[in-house]
Amino acid sequence: MAGEARSGNEKRASEREPRAYRPARWVSLRRLVQTAAFSAFLVLFIWSRRGGWPATLVNVPMRLDPLAMLAGLLASRAFVAGSAIALIVVLLTLLLGRAWCGWLCPLGTLLDWLPLRRWRDRRTDVSDVWRGAKHGLLLTILVAAILGNLTLLVFDPLTVLFRTLSTAVWPAVDQIVTAAERALYGVPFLQPAVGAFDRVIRPVILPIDPVFYRYTALYADIFIGVVGLNLIAPRFWCRYLCPLGAFLGLLSKVALVQREVNEQCTQCDACARTCPTGTIQSRKAYASDSSECTLCLECQDACPVAAIRFPARISAPQWTAYDPGRRHLATSLGAAIAGIGLFKSNLLTSREHPRLIRPPGARENDLLEKCIRCGECNRACPTSAIQPAVSEAGLEGLWTPVLIPRAGYCDYSCNACGQVCPVEAIPPLGLEEKRRRVVGHATIDENRCIAWADHADCIVCEEMCPLPDKAIVLEEVEVRTGEGERVTVHHPHVRLPHVLRDRCIGCGICEYKCPVNGEAAIRVYVPSEG
Amino acid sequence: MTDWTRRAFLHRVAAGLGLASSGWFLAACGAERVAPPTPSPHPTEAASTSSGSPAASTSTPPPVPATPESGGTRTPTATSTTLRHPDLVVARHGDPAQLVRRAMAALGGMERFVHRGDDVIVKPNICVSYHTYEYAATTNPWVVGEVVRLAFEAGARRVRVMDYPFGGGPEEAYAKSGIQEQVEAAGGEMEVMTSLKFIETDIPDGVDLKDCRIYDEVLKADVLINIPIAKTHGLARLTLGMKNLMGTIFHRRWMHRNLGQRLADLNSRVQPTLTVIDAVRMLMWNGPTGGSLDDVKQADTLIVSPDIVAVDSYAATLFELKPEDLAYVRAGAEMGLGRSDLDSLRIEEITVGG
Repeated sequence: MAGEARSGNEKRASEREPRAYRPARWVSLRRLVQTAAFSAFLVLFIWSRRGGWPATLVNVPMRLDPLAMLAGLLASRAFVAGSAIALIVVLLTLLLGRAWCGWLCPLGTLLDWLPLRRWRDRRTDVSDVWRGAKHGLLLTILVAAILGNLTLLVFDPLTVLFRTLSTAVWPAVDQIVTAAERALYGVPFLQPAVGAFDRVIRPVILPIDPVFYRYTALYADIFIGVVGLNLIAPRFWCRYLCPLGAFLGLLSKVALVQREVNEQCTQCDACARTCPTGTIQSRKAYASDSSECTLCLECQDACPVAAIRFPARISAPQWTAYDPGRRHLATSLGAAIAGIGLFKSNLLTSREHPRLIRPPGARENDLLEKCIRCGECNRACPTSAIQPAVSEAGLEGLWTPVLIPRAGYCDYSCNACGQVCPVEAIPPLGLEEKRRRVVGHATIDENRCIAWADHADCIVCEEMCPLPDKAIVLEEVEVRTGEGERVTVHHPHVRLPHVLRDRCIGCGICEYKCPVNGEAAIRVYVPSEG
Repeated sequence: MTDWTRRAFLHRVAAGLGLASSGWFLAACGAERVAPPTPSPHPTEAASTSSGSPAASTSTPPPVPATPESGGTRTPTATSTTLRHPDLVVARHGDPAQLVRRAMAALGGMERFVHRGDDVIVKPNICVSYHTYEYAATTNPWVVGEVVRLAFEAGARRVRVMDYPFGGGPEEAYAKSGIQEQVEAAGGEMEVMTSLKFIETDIPDGVDLKDCRIYDEVLKADVLINIPIAKTHGLARLTLGMKNLMGTIFHRRWMHRNLGQRLADLNSRVQPTLTVIDAVRMLMWNGPTGGSLDDVKQADTLIVSPDIVAVDSYAATLFELKPEDLAYVRAGAEMGLGRSDLDSLRIEEITVGG
């Protein structure tokens, strides 16, 4: 540490600031913490895959999210013990304001790293009124949650980032790395090195077999949009849209540590220009709004006269024009009610989508009232069978988990999704219990099946069926022409697969492995009632 | 952040593209399909001698063991010696490790197949990660462990054990089957079969299957030891030695049309040096995945032979089937990959006891 203190940077800082108090050091510390928190988020994301780290560890970031946990609590009216750690963030906020946003939030960190400053049009000035948008979103989320709906949690920053990583970034990285590896593996003298590299990264970091997600570009585009808003203003997302930021901002009104400008201020405007959330206002003697300040301390570092301090003291909340008022509440209430009304009048709520295959146990578990759309389950799923629903569950169930058997199957020896779900929307079933849980039923499409339509032996579905008493049985029949003549040229007998509905659990491995091109000749549909 | 002028940026992009394209170019040079093994003079010759009179085989000079430089797996027939070993050994009654040890001794010892410094790959059947070994869906761990131990005793430089499960992840399957534990105890290593190493490979002798993505380590190893477990299977009827080689290829679903011939075709390219059929427990029903102990029959039997068609033929009789009942055995015999005529084979049956 002493060596560091003697470095050039520190010297300059201490010249500017003769006392032991060195704002530059605090800013460096913040950047270090941001990097560490982002890395932790990424590492926990990577090791969320089944076979990685314990589920109760990897889902900690989601359980720390007070907005998701509170909304989940309101909607499901059920308290999940593990969600209590979100109180840590609440406490942190009551002490230090929106320090979560400035120091810890991985999305916020990413937006700091990609400021797009070079391309920003500096003349653009967004009215402060728009800061109220995030309050509107927050209130709508909370009102809707009370009414049992969690759809808008798709805007939670942690879920946005996590979903982007699992459904867009990681599949793409896998494809790129695989292509590079294959190219280099073709060079004989590089083979040992590429093989060794491959053994290091798979199956821990990247999957052994390629994974495929639907609409990967959609998730990438949404994320690019969030980052792209930085073109209008730095941390645009955090200022105007983030519902978690809004929630923490309201708590920050009574935070212990708040920014203060003292009489030494020369009104040089340096702090206002450096503030990433643009909350320092020259008109108000360079004061700031505690619910917008992320405690990034950049202003303190920029101040040439040490006029900015962050003392701890109890103060009365200061209200601003864009803070939520009755009008916000009325609008949110109206929006939530109207939205839910529209959701409930969607045909899908009366006649379920036939392919809305939910993870094991989720169907009986009021999934829509519990799922916070965090995407932990689709990262944990080792076959990538669990994917965010786009059309199957309507807009109401947007990005809730759905099993896509053509993308992957529900592994008979895996119960990772239920273990990792932070809100028990997918119940944490033991393996034996999960194996008995029916998620759907397989149905043979006799017009496409190789055995039924082509009279050729195939039986892959029967072979793959993991049940001790196979749910697919083979019936050996003679092949006859339409006139009842026996065909004896090629295949006098063919074994026709049949599904025994009482046994089938709908794991979908038959559909996944069906050798018919495109749509499988055996498909899983949601269980019919009764 | 360093300021990037447009010029510097373009320079760097050009350099990057140049590097990438040279990588592709090199790759294209190297990505030529893996050459088929040069037809060795021994296999046909040795095959004819082994099926011919004993006198003929004794007059044949011992073939030179395949050198690692020749690339590819040592074919079983190339290792036949002037000593008159049995074609096939059946060992019964005993604990799995003992069955392996005694059966291999009767077959002429592991030294017949594994030479000092060899790189050995063992291919058990670890098809799913669902059950422990008692359910007889996966090869007996102690059989695999003992084979690994014998290979090291014979001087193997490295012994890797691998399979490509179709249900569940490989790491889970390796652990669940108990095979990982026994292999590591014997000093071997488990390798996860990564999609990268499945290389498009020609099958020059294939009748129906002319090319296929095959795991290149299996083709490159000096010795391949195939250890299937005897199980029922919906299409193939039984999954034995030849069927177990399905685990060395990438696109398995394409095999299911004309499976018998295609398995024989694959076998003409992937030729195990030795096949050990684990019939300690046999899965009599609901194969190949199993899951019910009612479907398992304890047989405490092990069949070993360098002739994969012969072991499969013999194993069929354990299920009260005839070798001809298995399409891949018929196709394999027809292609000269081995013999299915059990009466003409020198079979040594031993009882280990205990």
